[in-house]
Formats: sequence, C-alpha cells, structure tokens
Amino acid sequence: MLIVDLVQSIVDGLLFGATYALIGIGFTLVFGVMHKINMAYAAASVGAAYAALRLIALIGGPAWASLLIAAAAGGVFGLIIYWLCFRFIPLSNPLATLMSTVGMFLLAEEIIVHTTDGMPQNYPVVVRGILDMGEFMIRGDLVFVFVCALLAMVVLLYLLYRTKLGIATRAVSQQPVAAQLVGIRLNHINALTFIVTGMLGGFAGALIGSAVGLLSPLLVIPLTIKGLIVTVIGGLGSIPGAIIAGLLVGMAENVFQYFRGVTERDIYVMLLLFVFLVFRPGGIFSNTVKRD
Amino acid sequence: MDFYLGLLQVMGVHTQLGLSAYVVLQTGQVSLAQAGFMAIGAYIAAMLTVLSGWPLIAALIAGALVAGLTACLVGFPALRVHGLMLVVATIAFTEIVRLFFFNFDYQIARGSLRVGPLGGEGFRQIRYFPENGWTTLHVAIFIWTVVALVMAALWWMDRSRAGAVLRAVGEDEIAAQSCGINLTAVKVSAMTAGGAIAGLAGGLYAHYTTHIEQSNFTILLATFAIAYPILGGLSSVFGTVAAVIFIQGFLVEGLRFLGDWRNLLFGALIVLVMNIRPSGLLDARTMATLRRLFSRKEH
Amino acid sequence: MTIPRLLAASAFVTTMAISSAMPAAAQEREIRLSGFGAMSGVVRSFGINSKAALEAAADEINKSGGVKLGDGTKGKIVIDYFDDRCNAEEGISVTRRIASTSSLVGIGPTCSNVAEPLFGVLQKKVGDAGDSGLQFPIFTDVAIKGGLAKISEWAFRNVPDEGAMYAALFQWLKKTRPELKTIFGGVEEDFAHSRATWYAVMKEVAAKEGFEIKGEAKWLLADTNFTNQAREARRAAADIVAISAHPFTTCGMLKELGRQGVKPKLVIGLTSSSSLETLQGCAAEAEAIIIPTSFAPVTPEARAAADRAAKFNGSLDLHSGAAYEIVAILKDVIEGEGVLAKPDTVQADRAKIRNGLSKLTETKGLIGISKRTEEGEAVKPFLFVHAKGGKWEVLHNPTK
Repeated sequence: MLIVDLVQSIVDGLLFGATYALIGIGFTLVFGVMHKINMAYAAASVGAAYAALRLIALIGGPAWASLLIAAAAGGVFGLIIYWLCFRFIPLSNPLATLMSTVGMFLLAEEIIVHTTDGMPQNYPVVVRGILDMGEFMIRGDLVFVFVCALLAMVVLLYLLYRTKLGIATRAVSQQPVAAQLVGIRLNHINALTFIVTGMLGGFAGALIGSAVGLLSPLLVIPLTIKGLIVTVIGGLGSIPGAIIAGLLVGMAENVFQYFRGVTERDIYVMLLLFVFLVFRPGGIFSNTVKRD
Repeated sequence: MDFYLGLLQVMGVHTQLGLSAYVVLQTGQVSLAQAGFMAIGAYIAAMLTVLSGWPLIAALIAGALVAGLTACLVGFPALRVHGLMLVVATIAFTEIVRLFFFNFDYQIARGSLRVGPLGGEGFRQIRYFPENGWTTLHVAIFIWTVVALVMAALWWMDRSRAGAVLRAVGEDEIAAQSCGINLTAVKVSAMTAGGAIAGLAGGLYAHYTTHIEQSNFTILLATFAIAYPILGGLSSVFGTVAAVIFIQGFLVEGLRFLGDWRNLLFGALIVLVMNIRPSGLLDARTMATLRRLFSRKEH
Repeated sequence: MTIPRLLAASAFVTTMAISSAMPAAAQEREIRLSGFGAMSGVVRSFGINSKAALEAAADEINKSGGVKLGDGTKGKIVIDYFDDRCNAEEGISVTRRIASTSSLVGIGPTCSNVAEPLFGVLQKKVGDAGDSGLQFPIFTDVAIKGGLAKISEWAFRNVPDEGAMYAALFQWLKKTRPELKTIFGGVEEDFAHSRATWYAVMKEVAAKEGFEIKGEAKWLLADTNFTNQAREARRAAADIVAISAHPFTTCGMLKELGRQGVKPKLVIGLTSSSSLETLQGCAAEAEAIIIPTSFAPVTPEARAAADRAAKFNGSLDLHSGAAYEIVAILKDVIEGEGVLAKPDTVQADRAKIRNGLSKLTETKGLIGISKRTEEGEAVKPFLFVHAKGGKWEVLHNPTK
C-alpha cells in the first residue's frame, strides 16, 4: 500500500463525489425544502440527459449544448412529474404520492429502455483534460462538475433566500394553508419549484453522463440511492450539506474500496450512513429549525 | 392448470411479502427493509433443508424466527428516525443484508457435489419440493395455507385492541402517547412481526424457485413489498391481496398479450391508480360498503 | 334462458366448434416452439434479437417445405415469444405457461439468473417417478453461466464453451504475438458469468499457456468510477489487459484507462461483449479489442441467416445466432424422432424431442459443426473478432 495510492484514492473519491453532490443538491431541495418524496428524481434527470443526447444526435451541436438541452428537458419532466404524481393527490396522503413517484420511476426507466433497447449510449466529453501534478492525476472534468455544484448552490441559495419564489417555496412547504391565506398560489408555486429542481436535475444528469462517459439505465437506481444517502448525511434541505456529504460519500466509497475491495465497499458506505443517522440525524449542518 | 397453480404460488408469496409491509405501515413507518428480512428467512430456511436435512415447516419457522429477531434489533434504532430518514435507513439495511450474502460462502460436500450458498453465485439446488414429490398443486395449497393463517392472524388483530393501538400510533403518535400507549413497544412489535412474516415469505420463495442469490433481494423488491399494501389500501388485509392480484395477475400476466407495451403500462397504471384512488384499491369506504353488502345478504 | 334452451344452445356451439376444428386437422399441422427471454431492462436487445432469429429461422424452414412429421404429414413451425423480464419467478411462470400450451420446446432464457432456478424446477432425471419437477424440454440460446445444463436432463444449451475459446485465443496469441508476455485482468465481480470467465477460464488458461498473471482489478456491474482499478492496471503495466465484464463497465474501464494514459499492447474482452452494445457505448475506446465469439457472417449460411434476421427487425450475434441454430437443430430432431405434433401427443412429443436432443453428438451450426456433450452443453466453433472503425471484423478464423 503506497501513501501515494491512498492519497490518489482519496482525491479521486472526492472528485467523483462531486457528481453525487450535484445530484444531491436536487434531492435535498425536493425532499428537504419541498418535503416531497420524489423517487423518480434521478430517473427523470438521467432521462433528460438521454433526451439531450438524442436531440444533439439529430440536429448536431457541440457537446456543451447538451447540458442546456438536458436542463430544459429536465424542467419539462419535472413539471410532468408534478402534474402526474402530486397535483391531484391530496396532501394528506404522502404514501400515495410516494407510490405514484415509484410508478413514475418505473415508467421513466422503461421509456429509456424502450428507446435505446437497453444499450449503453456513448456520451461526448464536455470538458477535457487531466491535470498532472507530479505523482498525482486530477480529472479536470470532475473539477468542472464540482465548480458547477458550487455555482448551483450559489444560484439556488440566492433563489431560495433572496427572491419571492424562494420565500413562497419555503412558505408553502412549511405551512401550506397559511401560505394560501397570504395569497400564494399553491399549485403555481409547486409547479415552478418542480420545474426549477427538474432543470437542476437534468443539468446534473447530463454532467454525470459526460463524467461517466456513458448513459445506461443501470445509472438510475445507484444514483437514486446515492442521492438519498447524500440528502440524509448532509441534512434534509441543506444545500451546503448536500455538497459536503456528496464529496464525503464519494471519498468514503473509494477509500473503502481501496482497503476492503469492491464486494464489501457498499456495506461500509451504508454503515457510515447509520453512524450519521445515530449520532447526527439532522445531518452535517444540523438544522435546528424544522417542523414536521 | 400447472400455469395457474404456479401463478397462485407467486401471488401467495408476494401476498406474504405485502402483508409483512402491511403490519409495519400501519404504525406509520415506511420500511424498505422487508426485502432484507426476506433474504434472511430465505437463506436460513434453505440452508436448514439442504445442508442439515430439516423438515420444511421447521426450517421455515426457524427462518421466520431469525428474521423476526433481526427485525426486533433493527426496530430499536429505527425508532429514532422518521419519514424519509427511516426510508433511507431501511434501504441501507436491505443493501447491507444483500451485500452480506454476496460475500457469504458456506458450502459442504455432499458426495461429489458441493452444496450451499456460494457468495455471488448464489445458493442452488434447493429442491425440497421436487425431491419429495410435491406437485404444483401441493405447493400452491401449502403456500396459501401459510398465507391464509397469516392473513387470519392479522385480520383478527385488526379487529382487536392491538389493531386499534397500531393504527392509533400510525395516525398520530403524540395523541397515542397521550393515551398511554407505549410507542416503543408498539413500533418494535410491528417491525418484529413484519420481519417474521417476511422471513416466512423468504423461506417459501427459496423453495419454490430452487435457487436464490443476493440479486433477488434488492431495493426494488422492497419497493414492491410496500407497493402492495399501499396500492391495495391499508384499511384491511384484503387490500394487499387485491393489489397482488392486480399487479401479478393483471399487470404482469394478464397484459402479456400487449407485448412490449406491458412494461410501459406497468408504471403508468400505478400512477393512474394512485391518482384516482389515493387510499388504495380497497380503501376504508369501499371496505365499509362491502361489509354492508355482505351483512345485508344475511337478512 | 330456460334449461332446455341452454342445453340446446351449448350443444349447437359445441358441434360448431368440433366441426370447425376438423378441417384444420387436414391442413398443415402446427409445431409450436416457444421462445422466452428478456425483453426489458438493459438486456432487452437480447430478447429482441433472439425473437427475430427464431422467427427468421422458422420462416425459412416453412418456406422450404416445412418439417416432416412422424406420420408423413408436413408441419409448419409457429414461434411465439414471451418476456420474462430477466426475473426468476417470471421465468418459471412463463415456462409453466408455455408448458400448458401445445408448445413442444421452450427456447431460452436470456439471463443465467433465470436459467438456474428454472432448471432446478425441471425434473432432474427422466423417469424418476418420485420427482415432481416439470417435464418440459428447454433449449437455451443465451444464458451462459457455466455448468447449468447438468442440473436437469430436460435442459439443453447451445451456448459457447468459453474454456475452449480462450484456450485457443491464448495459444494463437502465443504464436502470432510472442512479444506479449504478461496479463492483467479486470473482473465484474457480481455477475456470475463474467466472474467465472476470469477466474475459472481466462486466468487459468493464460497461466497454462505461459503468460504471467500480474493480478486483477475488480468492480461491480453498475460501477461508474474506475480510478482505483485503472491505476492498478497502470501499476501492473501488463502487455495484455483482459476485461471480463459486460459492455457498460467494459466501456467505463476502457474510458478510464484512456484518461490515465494506460495503453496496453492488447485488450481482450468477454464473449458477450462482442455485440453492438460495446460499439454503441465506446467505439473509440474499444478499438482493436479482441474477443472470441461463436458467430460472425463468415459463411454463406451465416450471412443468409443474418439477412433474414434483419428482415424480422433483429440482428444476429453470438447469442441470437445460437437461437437461429436451435430451430434448425429442432427440425432435425423432430424429423428424426418421428414427432407427430397432434393435440393429443404433446407430452409424448416433448419426451421424444428430449430424447432426440440427448442423443445428439454433433449439430450443424452457422459457422461450422458444433459438438454436443453428455451434459447437454455445446462445444461450438468459434473465431476471433476485433473492433475496427466501429464495427466487428473477423481477425482470425481457426475453423478454416
């Protein structure tokens, strides 16, 4: 075991964790700020990436355009999910919305499989470059993903805390009745927030596709699970928490794999989750203000 | 005939799995751990019949007991978390169990063959049924006898104070506590019962598929486990049966003639059902109506 | 409706039914062969291709006169195909469904995790009255996990014998590329097929041929981060990198090797990855990868079969090619065993087909003669292909 290898493992893990951070931000917004369990979030995000890929293949265009197309597609899918899974189901039935998003997840995965016959699709590289720093190698595209995650955080925090939409979103999630009483249109705001988180999800999906290099239905379930883990470790609703948790999970994964091999790796990641659940159920930045 | 009996078998095991989630859901806990308990029950029961030559019923009970015990242990830390956190914690549990069996080797030599679970390769040749001459009919009757017993127990519990206590905890924990209900005892008991039922389902599953491996017991299976009671309605055990018949009978087998469209309709129909009947196929109102109909017939 | 009227009506209906069935007996008889496999999920393309191959093969046989049955009449082959969604319970259910029709053989499944439970449900030994297992012949086209056919005497497979293929590959490499001396493996650990192929086949065979095994890197079938594994490969600096994994992770590993600047002199792949999937996923990175396969359009029969399958919306590769061959093998067995294909001889016909299949010692394949083993497995002719410019091209054909 070389120290160089260990440090490289840690660095690689942190960098790959940037992808988890990016998708985790969306998850924590949906689950934590909006208090909606949307099990189809990762599926819609990957679906948006697929849509972008298909469109680029049809009309041609540079690789980075796929990020924007995926964001747009993600927004559309977010709105569709809101309409089909949340709009008409009474708020008092969280199990029903949970199950309808599960149905949506199955549907999204099946659509992906049908249009591609289940085959992996090559994703063009958006950002090239390996940075060689002596003994160590740093993947430039993952650094780009990390920067994007930071940017997304800044934009979203601004949106949530400095704009009317943000205040309305937080109001609706905390006290839907009171929000309506002050004139906030519930369905309107909900739809908008689903669109915004959908756009973020699509963007994340495309960027993850480009980092992995491939799109495949196999991506969906692991991303969903990682997104949930990152949300819980980072704290429901905490965007900075999601970023740190994403990096942490990525690093832990790689380091566990380095020490204990690939068949036991995920056991330790899950145990790490349990440690957080037991000792810090509020997440890394424990949010004291929470109403259930 | 064989085909319908086989389908009955599948519906029986899935009903059992759904019932294990039904018990836990009544206390308001969304648990995706049932697949993990099912895995434990499956491996233990299979190892007992294949490696130690135990009779089937004893092996199934042993599997259920171990799964129930594990559920009891899981139930305590589960108390500390609610809502989404519990969902994630139970997902993590199911994954840990699955990965444990992925790494689990326990083979003994049986003549020239080696039998027993072999990590990623799985546990093959669990042939208790064919070797002892059980026909598809025998197996179907056996499975449904077990399911009927569990259903009867749960139905009886629903109509007793225990059922009311469970639902009270599910509806409003604070109100229940104010009435003097011991939340810990109720939730852990529900989790234990759910675990034991799932373990029983696992044992049955192992024997009628003759081969189990870690990839059988995934989060997706756990999601189906909670899907059945939610889709069917939490007000009665019959809801779970109705949902299993709907999914396994109608969606999976009945729609086969649609070819490729079947899989697309699967997810779409679940979304549709949840929109038009958010409390499930057999929700409280429907059950009340049915009860009225049946009681009227007697007059 | 009164009772007498009901009786009269049902008598009428029954007479009509019988009379309309009778003329059908005078026409060509139907030989029903049922395929089943994965039409969903990441393995959907396998089911689509197998179905197309079965239909194409049946169409060809029917067009050239059909199958001669035991009493001299002609039979035409009818194919149906069922989706088992790569799920063990559904696979067993589908097989029971098929067995309850007039179908004579089940052709499938795609996934080894369906095949293993399914074979376990079949009767283990023919004639064992105490064994209540299903008595229905299954002839597998795709599921390739080693040693499955011996689970039951009703199970047969037409899948390649990877031991022989990789042995030949390494021998050929020893001869034609003597500068290659060391080998490093990449293994997909949670898939029985890929795992077994590295440890039980590639590693052993390479060592026997005198290659030095530098080690192996492991991953899981849905993994996306190969930085650790590629670094291990870089450290090993082996001449050959052998990747025993399916297209998704094969591509992932190849892309990471590219990123880290690891350029082995040769990359070898897993048999199943010699399909369109790998080229869809990473044609650029997969350039020059060598894979042994049991199908390529190198003979007139193979080319004709590929064209026919394309007409039925499928492509022929080593998996669907096996399905195509199976129909031809079954035609020979049906004719040889005097199968009658009458509605009341279904179980007897199934037993005859099983008997016929177990007696076979060799069968005619699309690229050459396959041998059949006592356990019901096949030893198929093979050749080596490599990826060139986004297509699979034949590199070396040992059968020539």
